[in-house]
Amino acid sequence: MTTKQKRIFGFVVALAALFAVGPVSNAMHIMEGYLPGGYCIAWGVVCVPFLVLGYFSIQKRLKENRKSLTILAMCGAFVFVVSSLKIPSVTGSCSHMTGTGLGAILFGPCAVSILGIIVLIFQAILLAHGGLTTLGANTFSMAIAGPLVSYGLYKGLSKAGVSKRISVFVAAAVGDLFTYCVTSLQLALAYPSEQGGVAASAVKFLGVFAPTQVPLAIIEGILSVIVVIGLESFAKSELKSIGFLKEEA
Amino acid sequence: MSKDRKLHSHGHGHEHGHRHQHGEGGFSIDVYAYASGLRRVNPVFKVLFAVFVLILTIGLDDPFVSLFVILTMAVLSIWKGKVDVRGYCSLMTIPIAFMIFGSVAIAAGFSRQPLGDYNLSLHFFYLYATKSSILKALFLILKAFGAVSAMFMLTLSTPASEIISALQRLHVPQMIVELMNMIYRYIFIMMDTQRKMKNSAQSRLGYCDFKTSCLSFGGIASNLFIVSLKKANAYYDAMESRCYDGELRFLEEEKKVETIEVLSAAIYLVVLVGIHIGVKCF
Repeated sequence: MTTKQKRIFGFVVALAALFAVGPVSNAMHIMEGYLPGGYCIAWGVVCVPFLVLGYFSIQKRLKENRKSLTILAMCGAFVFVVSSLKIPSVTGSCSHMTGTGLGAILFGPCAVSILGIIVLIFQAILLAHGGLTTLGANTFSMAIAGPLVSYGLYKGLSKAGVSKRISVFVAAAVGDLFTYCVTSLQLALAYPSEQGGVAASAVKFLGVFAPTQVPLAIIEGILSVIVVIGLESFAKSELKSIGFLKEEA
Repeated sequence: MSKDRKLHSHGHGHEHGHRHQHGEGGFSIDVYAYASGLRRVNPVFKVLFAVFVLILTIGLDDPFVSLFVILTMAVLSIWKGKVDVRGYCSLMTIPIAFMIFGSVAIAAGFSRQPLGDYNLSLHFFYLYATKSSILKALFLILKAFGAVSAMFMLTLSTPASEIISALQRLHVPQMIVELMNMIYRYIFIMMDTQRKMKNSAQSRLGYCDFKTSCLSFGGIASNLFIVSLKKANAYYDAMESRCYDGELRFLEEEKKVETIEVLSAAIYLVVLVGIHIGVKCF
């Protein structure tokens, strides 16, 4: 091959690689058995303090009002259902929301950590998304890190006087992106590349998942805004009951 | 939808045996679990067995052990569990997208100089792969599929409600078990409501283009949330009027652990370790 031909071939391969990624994209659950044992345990341990915090916050809420048990359960089911729905996409691919960003904005990050781990268990046993040994790592990225960032951004932007719609969009989209970065980092830590170590490996994982995850994050942001608008116009009293509209109550 | 019909005619399981519109199974795992031939085996025993197999598959990190687990678990699920072969294979493809991307990232690297055993110039940098990195990725795929088959052995033979009660026996906090029980039940109620809403939106051209689909999707999701919060209050009242005091009690079939099951499980685990040691020696 001449240099020009080689160049064209290389370009075509790159293009093909981009499009090959398009058709299927699940949310970024690390699959069962993909992490070495030590990392499974380590990520599980990292989650424990957050889960304990979430447990106590839910317990406190239940002591105040036992009725919030069914409401919390409904919220958990809602996160599961939203994350298992096929979302609209341009390319006809099959992709899902994480739903946890929206959950964090609505119910707060503490409750979402517990609801999130339950939802992840159900996703593993009912949908085979994610797994039992990787539960710790997935919980950290999807039920703790992502929601914390979403919640922080949402509160921060609201305080700074940014309109609610924009703050919801930014919170949900960036939370989703952050989840994907954390997952890539988790994979990179477990599988550092031979040249360049963890950093190069992280870049590889980020690059491989970027074509599906970046558009997904934007769509997740848009959908979260539409959901929040819908809720605000029809369900003011219910939103107060879960503490989303406390300041106006 | 043939599976739904089968489910209805058998008269057990969920009324809302909803098939996830993926072409990849989804909730069919739940359907298989209720119809499984291994259902009469004690759930705590199955959970523990699956966990031990998982630990050994991941801990030993041996391609031969993984291969053995993949094959034996498939035989167990298909022959004893009565899962049909096509269904089992299509369930196995669920994690395939993640696996392909993840393994490519492990097998291939990039650098400014041509490195490794195979490399491909992409103008700005080189994609390269070494034989050892490709082998590493292949072994990882085997290990992951071994683990997935062990998990499928559990989930395809044990309905979620039994897994939850097994968790309760293994001392998971009461409140979490309670939440899990409720969430599991609410999922099917919500799925049903969502399907009806989606049908009505679809019949009114709610999904004709991308922008409308986004609006319909968001509208359905928010409406779903409102409807379910209203239902949540009604459910609590219903539970309270039936003397709910913080603990849901379900009638469970008593399933005894048989000696032969424990014995064969123990032998199986020993065989796994044996294969690992045997391969190392030769």
